[in-house]
Amino acid sequence: MGDIVVLVKASLNPELVRQAPDGSVDVRAIPLKISDIDRNAVEEAVKLKQKLGGKLVAISILTWGPVQARMKDLRLAVQEALAKGVDEAYVVADDSITPGDQVTTASAVKAVIERAGLKPDLILAGEATIDETTSQVPGRLARLLGYSYVSFARKLDVVDGKVIAERDLEDYIEVVEAPLPAVVSVTQEINEPRPPTLLQIRRAARKPIRQLKAGDLEGVTPPKRKILEMRVLQVKRKQVIIEGASLEEVADKLIDLLIQEGVLKL
Amino acid sequence: MAGVKALLVAYDPKDFPELAEWASEAGVQPVYLAVHEAAAKAGDYAAKLGARVYVAETSNPGSIAWAVEEVARREQAALVAGEAYRNLRDALSRVAAALEAPMATDATKAEVEGDSVIVERGFLSERAVARIQLPLPAVILFLTRFRRPSGEPSLGQGEILRLEPPEPREKRVEVREKPKGGVNLEEAEIIVGVGRGFKSKEDLKLAFELAELLGGQVGCTRPIAADLKWLSEDHWIGISGKRVSPKLYIAIGISGSPQHMSGVQGAKVIVAVNKDKAAPIFKQADYGVVADLYQFLPVLIKKLKERMGKA
Ligand SMILES: Cc1cc2nc3c(=O)[nH]c(=O)nc-3n(C[C@H](O)[C@H](O)[C@H](O)COP(=O)(O)OP(=O)(O)OC[C@H]3O[C@@H](n4cnc5c(N)ncnc54)[C@H](O)[C@@H]3O)c2cc1C
Repeated sequence: MGDIVVLVKASLNPELVRQAPDGSVDVRAIPLKISDIDRNAVEEAVKLKQKLGGKLVAISILTWGPVQARMKDLRLAVQEALAKGVDEAYVVADDSITPGDQVTTASAVKAVIERAGLKPDLILAGEATIDETTSQVPGRLARLLGYSYVSFARKLDVVDGKVIAERDLEDYIEVVEAPLPAVVSVTQEINEPRPPTLLQIRRAARKPIRQLKAGDLEGVTPPKRKILEMRVLQVKRKQVIIEGASLEEVADKLIDLLIQEGVLKL
Repeated sequence: MAGVKALLVAYDPKDFPELAEWASEAGVQPVYLAVHEAAAKAGDYAAKLGARVYVAETSNPGSIAWAVEEVARREQAALVAGEAYRNLRDALSRVAAALEAPMATDATKAEVEGDSVIVERGFLSERAVARIQLPLPAVILFLTRFRRPSGEPSLGQGEILRLEPPEPREKRVEVREKPKGGVNLEEAEIIVGVGRGFKSKEDLKLAFELAELLGGQVGCTRPIAADLKWLSEDHWIGISGKRVSPKLYIAIGISGSPQHMSGVQGAKVIVAVNKDKAAPIFKQADYGVVADLYQFLPVLIKKLKERMGKA
């Protein structure tokens, strides 16, 4: 079996959205964290490496700059993957390609694979990331590399040079077979990612993280999409906590309030 | 001068009138490609769309991608658009790579301006809205049901052209329909939402009892449907499930993740019951009750029954 690659994104954390005084999103003030479903992809990749052998490599392309302010979060995201059993990591961090888009990311991943001389049989990624939720990088990458593409896998195995997966679609589940090499995007339901142990985290500190710039790579497409504006959606909720001496009192108060609001008729 | 040529990909028959109405508003010159379940209705729509309708009878994303690329090339389309079904996310991401084109998903609006398209879409798990500019050629996936068309198109007779995609690399070996729970959350006026605060499937009967009493329906977070499978997926609310707009949403044992809450933004009043007073849901609710659901729900149900004269 050849190498396995897993894609990891340091995503803007939507739970820590920050707003500038004019109501726009203050992107620079929002910390990055590993995108939730990438954890599932890493977990699955480690499992497959244990079964199939080969080297497991994480690749992460920094979307949100400036690089200097983001390196710590980016390293943390990648170190989590290393702690969980990834052997080595490549990160591309370069302000000439931030804020990136999916055209850039897919082309940069391909460029890293070529530059590092990797021959992956399998590339895993999450079905979507928590900041942009577009689900397009794995499909783009498959097309650029000429690999099979299996998206939204909630069950995955590799047998006799073939990927066998259950694809989770709106109204049905579909079992598909595809020849290696392949790109597979996984859903959150594929496994239950375990947080790394302290020992794993300590060992990971010795694993290599290789940092590259766009200039070290060939064929990285600069971003095409331009963000014109980003506004924070205002949550206009009353945020009243109902208190009372007993749960009976709380229940009565709640019922009264809902009747007053006109959303409950008894 | 005619507008930009746009290839509109219909996956479900409902997509035809939605995409057609968008095309006329945006002033693009449409050609259509019908796949999956839309393929069976291509004949009916060809008679109303007044445009070429290509048909590829396939639900395989590899084959759909081939067909889209084929038609985009033949028709010299500068824009490819469809709605954000999983198979189209898959197929069109491949097409976007082949065209070296930027792609926006989950768009709520799109306007062509000169040689680019301006798209509005949710961002940061829909905590924010972004306006982005994509130079043509570009690919857009609108949110499914992104608009309610005013009626069926009546643009005259079009032409049908059939395509035969070659065998894809990825082959389907089995299909299983997903079970349906017979709920219709989009229409519900009251929804009781359940989350991982419930300890077992059995315990959900508390929520069902409350919903029944209120004449409402039960919805849930992703893990309840997708992971634990305690409820069928038509109960699943959020960014990757249903978007609902009831008068009243009662969230029970739900933490308030952005991915869930984006699905209930349309609710008039949101009530949260959670035992953790620091749970993020309280910041996104109108009324909060900090309590153990196992203690509070029986009391609430009892009180409601008393006041309805059902005790
Ligand atoms: C790309 C992506 C898409 C996603 N799409 C969706 C989506 O469409 N819909 C969705 O729902 N999620 C979605 N998720 C998952 C989401 O991030 C959360 O993981 C999920 O919504 C959490 O569900 P929950 O609130 O039921 O569980 P938890 O977050 O585990 O919360 C359980 C809550 O119950 C409370 N609790 C526990 N015991 C009790 C008790 N006895 N009484 C009262 N309260 C109690 C706890 O305090 C806690 O707040 C998505 C995630 C990603 C990354």
